[in-house]
Amino acid sequence: MTALLTVRDLRKAYAGVHALDGVSFEVAAGSITGLIGPNGSGKSTAIDCLSGFQKLDGGRVSLDGTDITGRSAHLIARAGLMRTFQTVRIYERLSLRDNLAIAAQQFDPANWVDEFFRTRRYREAVEASELRANQLVDLIGLSKYYEIETGILSYGQKKLVALAAALMPHPKIVVLDEPVAGVNPSRIREIEVALQQLNGAGETFLIVEHNVEFITTLCHHVIVLEQGRKLTEGTAEAIHTDPRVLEAYLGLSPEMAEAEMRGAA
Amino acid sequence: MRLFIALIAALAFGALPLLTSSNYIVGVGISALTFTVAAAALNLVYGFTGLLSFAQLGFWGIGGYATALTVVTFGGNFWMGLLYAAVLNGVLALVIGYPILRTNRHAFVISTLTFALLAALIARDWVSLTRGPLGIPNLPSPQAFGVVFDTTHKFYWIAWAFSVAMIAFLYALCSSRIGRTLVAIKQNEPLVRAQGISPMPYKLASFAISAAITGAAGGVLTFHLGIIDPSFLDFYYMQTFLIIVIIGGAGSFWAVIAAGIALSALPEVLRFSADFRMIIYGVILVAAMFAMPSGVAGWLRAREVARMREAIR
Repeated sequence: MTALLTVRDLRKAYAGVHALDGVSFEVAAGSITGLIGPNGSGKSTAIDCLSGFQKLDGGRVSLDGTDITGRSAHLIARAGLMRTFQTVRIYERLSLRDNLAIAAQQFDPANWVDEFFRTRRYREAVEASELRANQLVDLIGLSKYYEIETGILSYGQKKLVALAAALMPHPKIVVLDEPVAGVNPSRIREIEVALQQLNGAGETFLIVEHNVEFITTLCHHVIVLEQGRKLTEGTAEAIHTDPRVLEAYLGLSPEMAEAEMRGAA
Repeated sequence: MRLFIALIAALAFGALPLLTSSNYIVGVGISALTFTVAAAALNLVYGFTGLLSFAQLGFWGIGGYATALTVVTFGGNFWMGLLYAAVLNGVLALVIGYPILRTNRHAFVISTLTFALLAALIARDWVSLTRGPLGIPNLPSPQAFGVVFDTTHKFYWIAWAFSVAMIAFLYALCSSRIGRTLVAIKQNEPLVRAQGISPMPYKLASFAISAAITGAAGGVLTFHLGIIDPSFLDFYYMQTFLIIVIIGGAGSFWAVIAAGIALSALPEVLRFSADFRMIIYGVILVAAMFAMPSGVAGWLRAREVARMREAIR
């Protein structure tokens, strides 16, 4: 499999503390790749750095052969990397329809002149965006909320809206920052199914998550961070039983740690 | 439907001078129209983009002075004055906006307030240009196509045509994708960036367009009054624009237009009790804020959302 996203020797320090101390990994095209690690291991910093929301101190990030190191967040998004946020970010006072339309608007060729004169280019862009929005809304099961302000939705539903918005412009890769944290356990399964379907349709995902059960059922490949370094990586199976991971994650003996993880999930 | 109502309202307002011979009423009409335009411009930058700009007062005053000085000192006419006022303010907004929009929202508020105070200071103290506290009296009546707009009734048509054009322009802007993007920036700027949109050009454009329109509105009112002096930069004007936007409902286009007309007329309606009218006005405003903290539009919207929530159960 070819690498879609390549991260080389990522470095980031806050006031002398190395949040990232030379992290390298790859995300294969068409895969679901997981990024896990205990609190403070640098997962969030890593995705903030590669999506342009934080300046990195060193290292290279390339997306589909293009070097995107150090670009602004909006330019990285335009290059095809869409992300969600740990604390859910959506436009709460806009309808689901508008939330999804805005997510795609930078990626269609229509400009304000096209809009003013309602040119064919504008109409086609709006039609394509509506079509995509309808598909995604069906997939996440929120069709009946389409015209309603997203602020009234539950936390889990808002996470789904954020996911759908990230998918709107057919990005090359979607980076999800804790997609099921704080989500009602009964809904986690729905998110799993949706992600598997999207992946089946060719979408590539990089998922940062605490929920190990979620990661191991979903991911083809898992990267484990600890204290700003890559501890190990491998298949979900291998990671799940790796004693180093269990120890790093929970600071427990392997047997106890495994029991803990099952409990937490 | 809303557009149809707006069209009827615009035509009805156009007919005001035909319905009354009172200079006083027509004069109130001119103030109401210019205030409404300035409030709609504030709504663009504050209600839509979420930037609380006190610089509007500065732009309003600079626009008034620029129009007056074009005619009196630089030998141009009223129409050129309006154009210069708009262009000067637009450029000023770009120049000050670029650095201060990089700061956080609180710093932006303070910086714009400082700009407004500075503009008032210049109007008072740069005597060789502005004639200081004496002001510039006896501004000549505008002319076009051989018509001299020398009565309040005739001048009303200028204010009316200007307001209708500006409100139509702002409506086209606010109801477009650009307007929707401004709302998105107000609600969640990091998300906007994550969706490939750079917020800066949008914020800068809304600030500059708002400045240009406010300046031209100031120019129109200045020539209705026939005089400009530093009191044109009194905080009273900023307060009026803000009250209109807040009572109408920041971010709601037509509610702010309706509030502009209603609230400009309200202090005049209350003249039956000259001693208490500003107190009554204040009580009405406070009561309105208690009953509808997000303005009239916010109140209507909350009801609509509640109804929809009910409908999907």
